[in-house]
Amino acid sequence: MAAGVAAWLPFARAAAIGWMPVASTPMPIPPQDKRKTKEGLIILNVSGTKFQTWRTTLERYPDTLLGSTERDFFFHEETNEYFFDRDPDIFRHILNFYRTGKLHYPRQECISAYDEELAFFGIIPEIIGDCCYEEYKDRRRENADRLQDDEDMDMKNDAAPVNLTFREYLWRAFENPHTSTLALVFYYVTGFFIAISVMANVVETVPCGTLPNRSKELSCGDRYALAFFCLDTACVMIFTVEYLLRLIAAPSRYKFMKSVMSVIDVVAIMPYYIGLVMTDNDQVSGAFVTLRVFRVFRIFKFSRHSAGLRILGYTLKSCASELGFLLFSLTMAIIIFATVMFYAEKGSTATKFTSIPAAFWYTIVTMTTLGYGDMVPKTIVGKVFGSICSLSGVLVIALPVPVIVSNFGRIYHQSQRAEKRRAQRKTRLARIRATKIRSTNAYMRYKQNGLLFDSLEEASKESGQALVRKALSPPFESQHHHLLHCLEKITNHEFVDEQTFQANCIEISVTNKSGSRASSLSSSPHGLSSCCSRRHRKKSSFSLPSTNNQELSTIQIRERPVTNSRSSLNAKLDETVPLKCDKPYITPSMVSLSAPVVTSSDGDGSTTTSAYFQSNIVRVSAL
Amino acid sequence: METAMERRRVETVSSPDSVEDELELSAVRHRPEGLEQLEAQTRFSRKELQILYRGFKTECPSGIVNEDTFKDIYSQFFPQGDASTYAHFLFNAFDTDHNGSVSFEDFVMGLSILLRGTVQEKLNWAFNLYDINKDGYITKEEMLDIMKAIYDMMGKCTYPVLKEETPRQHVEVFFQKMDKNKDGVVTIDEFIDCCQNDENIMRSMHLFENVL
Repeated sequence: MAAGVAAWLPFARAAAIGWMPVASTPMPIPPQDKRKTKEGLIILNVSGTKFQTWRTTLERYPDTLLGSTERDFFFHEETNEYFFDRDPDIFRHILNFYRTGKLHYPRQECISAYDEELAFFGIIPEIIGDCCYEEYKDRRRENADRLQDDEDMDMKNDAAPVNLTFREYLWRAFENPHTSTLALVFYYVTGFFIAISVMANVVETVPCGTLPNRSKELSCGDRYALAFFCLDTACVMIFTVEYLLRLIAAPSRYKFMKSVMSVIDVVAIMPYYIGLVMTDNDQVSGAFVTLRVFRVFRIFKFSRHSAGLRILGYTLKSCASELGFLLFSLTMAIIIFATVMFYAEKGSTATKFTSIPAAFWYTIVTMTTLGYGDMVPKTIVGKVFGSICSLSGVLVIALPVPVIVSNFGRIYHQSQRAEKRRAQRKTRLARIRATKIRSTNAYMRYKQNGLLFDSLEEASKESGQALVRKALSPPFESQHHHLLHCLEKITNHEFVDEQTFQANCIEISVTNKSGSRASSLSSSPHGLSSCCSRRHRKKSSFSLPSTNNQELSTIQIRERPVTNSRSSLNAKLDETVPLKCDKPYITPSMVSLSAPVVTSSDGDGSTTTSAYFQSNIVRVSAL
Repeated sequence: METAMERRRVETVSSPDSVEDELELSAVRHRPEGLEQLEAQTRFSRKELQILYRGFKTECPSGIVNEDTFKDIYSQFFPQGDASTYAHFLFNAFDTDHNGSVSFEDFVMGLSILLRGTVQEKLNWAFNLYDINKDGYITKEEMLDIMKAIYDMMGKCTYPVLKEETPRQHVEVFFQKMDKNKDGVVTIDEFIDCCQNDENIMRSMHLFENVL
């Protein structure tokens, strides 16, 4: 239970009056709480750290908390100061804002804590000074990304229900191969075939020795044409099947067909089909041969299999502006230098610099410091400009490259962080669940203690007081439990924890089915419902607990596997069975008896005391 | 109460030419009336108002509660069940001017009735809560909605297991008790009369008086 919400407890309790007219039984007594509650210069006491400032300083900004009458709510009369239960370190910056008019963002503070403080004191973050504004915005964006990622993960994980249609299942299998073994197998098979296909394309062109009656050397593709053709057919069939399956499974077919990967898929398999159609026509077969070059696109299909490739592609896409600048500046430089070199070398004889476009090749080779040496300047002027060209080439290329590299690094790190968050997600969820279970268990324990308190009040005062002292819980907790108790009374149902609930369900189904058990068991559903009807009676003075035979024996079955001592106590209960009872709550307390010992293994320290209480409960009720 | 509503100031702070929508510039802030006016309008003492406001302000720094925050806060008290439906009805009961948010004044006025009001006022408030469409009559459907919302707060793990028709049965019991002329609706007079004659309910009305 968050301490902040504790302040709303009086509201929740007051709102409980809305349930009262619906009740048919009297409500439990609330816990008693004895609680007490506190131009010149203004003293601002923030969690013990005292700040002082002039009243007029604060009133410079009348639309904030400190500058308006809103601060009167925080005035503490006994010490004649204004007390705020907030973080003094961050408050320092806020007070400085009043003094200097500039709001700064401390770099070492957490962005959400800082935002909360600003919201509390009514200061809008936009007035952060220019010196700190960039940092603030960056941190805020990171935080928002983190929250967005969490939400996306939530949605992705929530969309894993048990009953998917076949189409959705297929799509999920394609997108995340790790979801099922069949998908994983398919993933690896396609990867293998992509590799085979690319290697076949490569090996096809290797010269493979000559045939006896030919003088020209044949490539392997021509020599073993049939084998390569069969291999190609097999690969293309696999790719076609994969593409069609993806097309069927895609949630939005139009969007799928527009996506890059699908275009690559189509381009990779088209040459084969076109080849099938056009083999007889000689003229077009020339063009067909060139079409085969598109088969190299199959290698891009690997990007589905490699996250790094995808990141690279994404980086290039996101660095489009830097790449564009690089290209543009290179083009400018090439044109300038090519022109200069052409005119410089125009005079020399038998020069290779026949035209400006011919000089482009020289300029590119020089600027990228390749220097093939197939075109070299011969005149002195040409050599001078050639050296200037090579020096500037290094500069022009080196400038945008770090931007691209850093972009790649940023995106790569982001994906790494996302992976880490995904891994930690499980522990985070477990923590949240554990808190919930703890609060439920606290309430179960309260019920036992509360009942113990009631029953002991009438039974024996001395032993009761000794135990009650141990049962004190903080007043907030006890009020919250009283609230939950009222709800139970209104609806005439009880809170139980998960395990007891499961056990109940199992038992009801078991006893409904089996008729071969003891006759008492077979009538236990009836017993349970009669217990319900009994709840409508008023709670009278304490009387010994019991209900039917049935309920106790059902309890007995559940508790048998536990310790010996308790089963012996249960045996004692059995003897006292035929006693009447008007108090409907002791039996459920038996039901919840098993719960704390089993589930409160998270070492709250009160397990021993609760065990002590249990034995006491049983002893008293066996009177 | 009406003058308080008129005099309430809701400040929407936004920068005149903000182009970026990543930063949400509007913090709809609300400052409550001064301490003296609230003291005069409610039955709380100065100290109590201070305590209430501090709690209110910690959970809702902007000074107003919208429905989602309200549901969140209320759900934290009932971890096992789903308190959102009941919180929705409660929100409508507190938001007396139906502007979609509960300010500190609404909050404190409501609490003043619930904790320090006469029994008549409390019953009035409860009737207002049950009467979802505020037409002066509680029909069986409205009561069934409320009842289901209350039972939802119990959650799944209850003993005995919650059945489908339990809320409906409870509504039947309620109507048998309250609807004197058997016309299928409960009016405010029937409601108040019947509650005043039921000593359980009378006693429970005084249950939370020492809450603050």
